[in-house]
Formats: sequence, structure tokens, C-alpha cells
Amino acid sequence: MGDSQYSFSLTTFSPSGKLVQIEHALTAVGSAANGVVIATEKKLPSILVDETSVQKIQYLTPNIGVVYSGMGPDFRVLVRKSRKQVEQYHRLYKEPIPVTQPVRETAAVMQEFTQSGGVRPFGVSLLVAGYDDNGPQLYQNAKTFLEKRYTDDMELDDAVHTAILTLKEGFEGQISGKNIEIGIIGTDKNFRVLTPAEIDDYLAEVE
Amino acid sequence: MSRGSGGGYDRHITIFSPEGRLFQVEYAFKAVKAAGITSIGVRGKDSVCVVTQKKVPDKLLDQTSVTHLFPITKFLGLLATGMTADARTLVQQARNEAAEFRFRYGYEMPVDVLSKWIADKSQVYTQHAYMRPLGVVAMVLGIDEEKGPQLYKCDPAGHFYGHKATSAGSKEQEAINFLEKKMKNDPAFTYKETVQTAISALQSVLQEDFKATEIEVGVVKADDPVFQVLSTEEIDEHLTAISERD
Repeated sequence: MGDSQYSFSLTTFSPSGKLVQIEHALTAVGSAANGVVIATEKKLPSILVDETSVQKIQYLTPNIGVVYSGMGPDFRVLVRKSRKQVEQYHRLYKEPIPVTQPVRETAAVMQEFTQSGGVRPFGVSLLVAGYDDNGPQLYQNAKTFLEKRYTDDMELDDAVHTAILTLKEGFEGQISGKNIEIGIIGTDKNFRVLTPAEIDDYLAEVE
Repeated sequence: MSRGSGGGYDRHITIFSPEGRLFQVEYAFKAVKAAGITSIGVRGKDSVCVVTQKKVPDKLLDQTSVTHLFPITKFLGLLATGMTADARTLVQQARNEAAEFRFRYGYEMPVDVLSKWIADKSQVYTQHAYMRPLGVVAMVLGIDEEKGPQLYKCDPAGHFYGHKATSAGSKEQEAINFLEKKMKNDPAFTYKETVQTAISALQSVLQEDFKATEIEVGVVKADDPVFQVLSTEEIDEHLTAISERD
């Protein structure tokens, strides 16, 4: 798994009072006996931004999802590379890739960029959630400011509630289905991003 | 192998500074502002409109050759704010990519796909030392077959978002404040309202009334999804409507 070789802390900066380039994101995880939940706040630079055009939680395969905190553009690059590696694995072995593989390969890429000349390291830390023959799994490479709570042994619904409560603690402003994203993977082995309506339902239960 | 304090080079190429900043990317944003032009984009219920200032610094220059508004394909337009030379190379590459996409996949490149491509290219410049980021903010507009009118903005950092309305350039923040008030309750602007909101936003922020020759306006409409640059006469009509309204 990738080491945190970065000794600085990523801060948000706004040159000339403009767009935030690095998102100081809150991410939460919950692990259930039969699934995994990852949730993140979706901080948009302005109300003028169309929130449906942005998705922080991405699929690597139907049964592996990933979310990040840090620099969005860097995340896109890693997702693209991962997806390609996943496809290549599938082409060769004709079976779904175990969760550890893309994690290990992505970590290797991130390490490469800390060592090669002429490139800078990726400014992201990842949370990978998936379900394979070994059951539900969650991997992360932590950053100092990434806030996380880890809980065990509960039903998937409870895990979602816990994740929401965790996000709520650090959240500024009104939390709603529009400014957080939640991804879950359960015994059906399908990684799924919840719709804003479903998130609102969970929020109502938590209130 | 950590780079430690950067050896002073963290300002010269895109590597992290000790505080985790990318100075070259920040400077690219400043270059966009330094161009001295402000641009506005507004998305309506069934149309998208972009407006930018047309500043011709020299009377001897051929006005028609000075433009920041570029058709990428028949259906996609791009408004480039910032360094003109960087804008031209971006447009050239985007045109190439969109044409190849059409050839390869048999359908028109959607707005968000082109924007993502532009943003991903920008991200490469922020990570690899051999090229600097482009000093351009690109607004891409078009009508998406499934999602309707779309307005995307791509910046030198590699970010891209879909927008209901947005701005770029020297008075970006003032324009965004103005637009946030106008778009507060998710209004569904008609074509005319969309164009007039965009133009009046620019006028309000720059505090001057324009002549039709001093701005460029580009639109796409759902009932005619071709990217069009408005003629001086058409711009005049809208300017008149705005001044009569006020």
C-alpha cells in the first residue's frame, strides 16, 4: 500500500481570490459485517456550479469503488490508469480483479511519481472500497488531515448512518443529498453510488 | 526521493513547494487575469450563451482577426480567456481531437467529454516538468443529446466543472458574485433572457455600456444546436433590448 512520503500538508490556496484548487475534503468510512460504505463531502466552489457534473466517487469495476481527498485532476489520472490495469487483468484472466490488485498497482504508480525525474508526486490520498471472494474490503493511504472514523461489525444501513454522522461533525453549512456523495458495496458485490434522493432518505433517518 | 525545499525551483517548474503549493499553476491563473479581459457564460433552459470583451489595442489591426471565440466543431464552441497564443494551440488540439472522435466513434463529441479531455491535458502540464501549464481558461459550450444545454469551464489546474453560469478573466470574482444573485433560485432562462443576462452581467461588472463591436457573443440553442457567433446587428438588438428594459 502506498506510503505517505509527503512531508507537507496540502492546503487550500486561492491565487488572486479564485477557485479552490485543492479540496480539503472530509471523507468518512464505515465497515459493516456485510459491506463497506464510503462517504465524502462535495465541496463546490460556487452555487453556479452544476453539482450533477461532478462525481467524486468513481467506479474502477462494478465491484470496486474509489474516492479521494486532495487534487481532483490528479485523481482522474489515477482512476484512468487503474481502470486500464483492471481491464488488462480481466482480458488475461477472464475474472473480476481482486481488490488488492488495483490498490497495489495504483500505489506503485504513485510511488513512481515520487521518484522519477521531471514529475511531481500525486496530491491525493485514496480510499478504495470493494467486495471480492475475501469479502468486503477497504484500503486507504492516509494523509495527516484526512479525518476518518472506522467502525466494525454492524449492518450496512447502520454503517451508512455512522458515515453520515461522521461527515456531519466536520461539515459546514447544511448537509443534503446534493453536497455529499455516498458509495456502498454490499453482499450483492455491486459497488453503487447512492442517488441524492436516497441520501436524503438516510439523512432524514439520522435526524 | 523527496525534493526537500525544492531548491528554489518550485517556482520555476510544476513541483510542490514545502507548503504544498504549485506556484506555476498559480501563476498560470494570474496570466489569465493579466490578459485584461473578462468573459461570462450563462446556461439557460434551452440555450447557452458566452460573452467576452473584444479589445483591439491598435487601430491598424484587422478587427475581424481578433477573436477569443472559436468553433471546435459545428456543434461545439470554445471561449478562451487569457493568453491568446496558448488559446490558439489549445483550440487547434481540441479541433483535432473532436474530429478524430467523430471519425472513430461515429457520433459527435459531447461537451463534457471534450472538457474532460482538455482538463486532462492541462493536468499533465501540472505534473510533468517539461511543459508549463497553459495560461488559458476555456469555456466549452454545446447542446448535449441527453442532458440538454451544457456549459463547462476548464482551468490551468486541470479542474473542470459543468456550470449554470460562470466567469473568467480579470473581473471574474465580481462577475461570479453578480451571477450568483441572478441564478439563486435556479431560473430557467429563455434564449433571450440567457443572452441578456450574460451581456448585462459583463456591462455591470465592467461598469460600461458596450457598443456591439466591443464584445463577442457566442450561442448554442437546443432547437438549432449549431454553435453560432452573433453578428454585430444581432448583438445590437440585444443591447437595445437591455437598455430599454433598464
